[in-house]
Amino acid sequence: MLTLAEEIAFILLVVVLGGLTAVGFRGIATLVRSGRAAPPREDVPRRLMSALIDVGLQRPIFKARPVLSTFHAFIFFGFSFYFLVNVADLFEGFIPGFALAYGAGGAAGPFLGGVANLFNLVADILSVLTLVGMIAFLVRRFGMKDKRLSFNDGVLLHPGVQAGGVRRDSAIVGTFIMLHVGSRFLGQTLRLAETGKADPFMPFASLTSLAFGGLSASALSLGIHVTWWTAIGLIVCFLPYFVFSKHIHLMVAPLNLGLIKPGPRGLLDPAVPKGAPDDMAPGAAQLQDLGWPRLLDAYACIMCNRCQEVCPAHGSGRPLSPAALEVNKRYLFNHHFTSLAKGEQADIPLLAMAISPEAVWSCTTCYACVRVCPVGNEPMADIVDIRRRMIYDTAEIDSGIQGALEGIGKNGNWFGKVARTRARWAKDAGVPIKDATKEPVEYLWFVGDTASFDQRVVPLTQKVARVLSHAGVDFGILNNEERNAGNDVRRVGEEGLFEMLVEQNMKAFGKAQFKQIITTDPHSLNTLRNEYPQFGAEYPVHHYTAVLLELLEAGKLQVTEKLGRYLATYHDPCYLGRYNQGYEPPRRLLELAGMRFAEMPRNRENSYCCGAGGGQIWLGSAPAGERPAESRIREALETLSPITGDAEQLLFVVSCPKDVVMYTDAVKTSGNEGKIVVRDIIEVLEEALGLTEPAGLPDTAQVPV
Amino acid sequence: MKIVVAIKQVPSLADEVELNAEGTNLDFDAVDFVLNEWDEQAIEQAVLVKEAGSGAVTVIGVDATGELDGVLHTALAKGADAVAKVAGEFEPGLTSHAQARLLSSAIIDMAPDLVLTGVQAPDDLDGQLGPMLAALMDLPYVGVVNSVQVSGRTATVHKEYAGGLMAEFSVQLPAVIGIQAASQPPRYAPVSKVRQLAKTATIEEIETAEDELESGLSVRSMTRPVSVGHADMIAGDAKAVAGRIIAILNERGLI
Repeated sequence: MLTLAEEIAFILLVVVLGGLTAVGFRGIATLVRSGRAAPPREDVPRRLMSALIDVGLQRPIFKARPVLSTFHAFIFFGFSFYFLVNVADLFEGFIPGFALAYGAGGAAGPFLGGVANLFNLVADILSVLTLVGMIAFLVRRFGMKDKRLSFNDGVLLHPGVQAGGVRRDSAIVGTFIMLHVGSRFLGQTLRLAETGKADPFMPFASLTSLAFGGLSASALSLGIHVTWWTAIGLIVCFLPYFVFSKHIHLMVAPLNLGLIKPGPRGLLDPAVPKGAPDDMAPGAAQLQDLGWPRLLDAYACIMCNRCQEVCPAHGSGRPLSPAALEVNKRYLFNHHFTSLAKGEQADIPLLAMAISPEAVWSCTTCYACVRVCPVGNEPMADIVDIRRRMIYDTAEIDSGIQGALEGIGKNGNWFGKVARTRARWAKDAGVPIKDATKEPVEYLWFVGDTASFDQRVVPLTQKVARVLSHAGVDFGILNNEERNAGNDVRRVGEEGLFEMLVEQNMKAFGKAQFKQIITTDPHSLNTLRNEYPQFGAEYPVHHYTAVLLELLEAGKLQVTEKLGRYLATYHDPCYLGRYNQGYEPPRRLLELAGMRFAEMPRNRENSYCCGAGGGQIWLGSAPAGERPAESRIREALETLSPITGDAEQLLFVVSCPKDVVMYTDAVKTSGNEGKIVVRDIIEVLEEALGLTEPAGLPDTAQVPV
Repeated sequence: MKIVVAIKQVPSLADEVELNAEGTNLDFDAVDFVLNEWDEQAIEQAVLVKEAGSGAVTVIGVDATGELDGVLHTALAKGADAVAKVAGEFEPGLTSHAQARLLSSAIIDMAPDLVLTGVQAPDDLDGQLGPMLAALMDLPYVGVVNSVQVSGRTATVHKEYAGGLMAEFSVQLPAVIGIQAASQPPRYAPVSKVRQLAKTATIEEIETAEDELESGLSVRSMTRPVSVGHADMIAGDAKAVAGRIIAILNERGLI
């Protein structure tokens, strides 16, 4: 079909622009490799294969925004099939007489003709679907101006982003797709118009071909040539743009998903790579201090802002956007591309150029951003690394966080209490509690700071002790030898203090005899289960909800009273749910307690953080705006109020000591006292088990004179 | 500008302290040692002086606990430039005289421009160490200071008096200053950095010819304070409490 001149022009174009693109891609590879080492990726071929399958089924993107994801799937399937279409079009261009319409012209025989018909049908339908998807995206971005694509006030943005770079990039990519797919579709239309015959296997093109029936043969031939160039020639012209465009996500996203961090969600990468020199500063101050996977993240990012949408800091109006962090990184790469592509170290201070200190300290490390990201990015890991260096350089540490760290360093807790008062709660627990360092026990109960010291939580800790004791569970505590487990210390960036706490707790474990660990605190659970094994402490670690369920199912605890008078909803704590998949035991317990139950819209994987994690509970200043916990109480009331029926009481059930504190507070500050009550699951269960002590104050005021 | 900070460790009072079998001192095997909190202020003030101008901070102590290295690494993490300890075998409970002799003989060879130390310590409530250091090195001394500014060869210091009175002194350097509080709260020492320095930093060991460790005083006995009475708690409702109060007043012949 092509003339000789056209063929030569095309080949020249491929050589020049293809070569340029190859140089650009090699530059990207060099740039990504200039990041710090990361834990080795294992089993890469298998993981890449499973990433490809996931992408092929569009699983990662359907984690959120189902309607938009459907349009994305149209474009994705269209584009994937277009690899074949483009090859076919190349053949049509370069092999005289090659054409696929009408079952490859009837010359191919019944089998190949059938294949051609199938191919034409799929291509015809997918072309239209791709165009529909792309129009939907363009309308949403430029027509409806979806607010989710904009950022909170105060979010640090690269000048290129401020100048509308993402919009421009989107416009260019959108135009390219419309032109490329549109031209190909139009080309097929004109081919059908040339013969004047419809092809039943190209229904859409047959339909549009009717509009071109009146054109002259030369006009049609010219049209076919022009559309070939605007379909196939355009791809070649577009290739170098990939190097700088977010559209490169179509290649990097599957790669990024395949190279995702091995191991559990709750295990952070070390603060310095394994085997690094002793004097290497931990964490990241410069962009290239980040691990190479964090650099690759910026190339996988398609700038969809889904991470921002689920971020509790963003939701409460704070200047943190995980998306902006990735976008800024990418714009910084583009800006410094020439030197970075050569493998040079560029001066790109993260806190000045990628994310503000205030944003860094707004993160609750709830993992929602990582969980929802369709391309496998981990913006939270960047933030922890930046905190690590800020702590190391003692730069801009909030006074509340400093106080907590100093207290933990000195006394092993952040309540400002001396270490020897840690187990004071156990004295008035009402049941004897064994000292696991003095006698062997089955379960070591790792109590944690909040459950040991917070006066609002201590009565709940004591209830857990009584219920466990009632069920005949053989358990003990480390008494005053226990230290803060270090989960939040690590996430605040104090890696050294975290390591010290691990050593101290492991020393205490060494003095005790036990087989398994139980805790009420999801934060302690996370680090004990997922991070302590790296230091050699490998024990099965259970949340109390899982143990209580086992006891009920084994008949060691029996429900004596069904609590049908309550209507409850349940909040998944980040570190029990999203991090450790402890979704079912709490729900089963509520079911066994016989209460009416309704899920909030944001539940399980999509649960919304209470706002306390990652050191937020230590921060000295409370930011303005609706706090995450208040938003959650509102969500609970919106869920339960319309279906209250004859329920005597609405319950907001939690299973984390920090949640007790956060939500009890939020009910008051949001003015919802009397409408809903926060209950720890142990209180609910105690009532259902008929173990509640008689009402009234315990008789402790008798002091002999 | 060479700034030297003399520090020492003291028993932690967060835990119960116990007496030794002879009843002449604390049982040092049963206590945890921490850096004297006034010395912590002195380190902070030294680093602030350095940051305001120029110079280098050296922190020095006598290792009487076997645990001084950790304290010195922490000082480095807070911004000290060098750390040193007096070489030798020492036992906990060194007297202020011994501390002063050992430290001054090491510090004097450093030719310091400014020597800072905590104005007092739990085992030196009368604040002897600073004046003794100054006397042994033949330098001027100002104590109970909560701000130090250096300009040229002169330090301007603020000294606190009772009743909230404040005096400003100009001190010719070199001098010894006893620090009550630094002009800012002590900064955080990241454990990440402390642990890293524990692997990489070097602690200079300074030999000294000083071997006189006695103070000329000996402790005959050390005892816990004797309780001379305690409060009675009266429980019950208002009527019962009032009745009991009247009964007590009657017993004592007060009404």
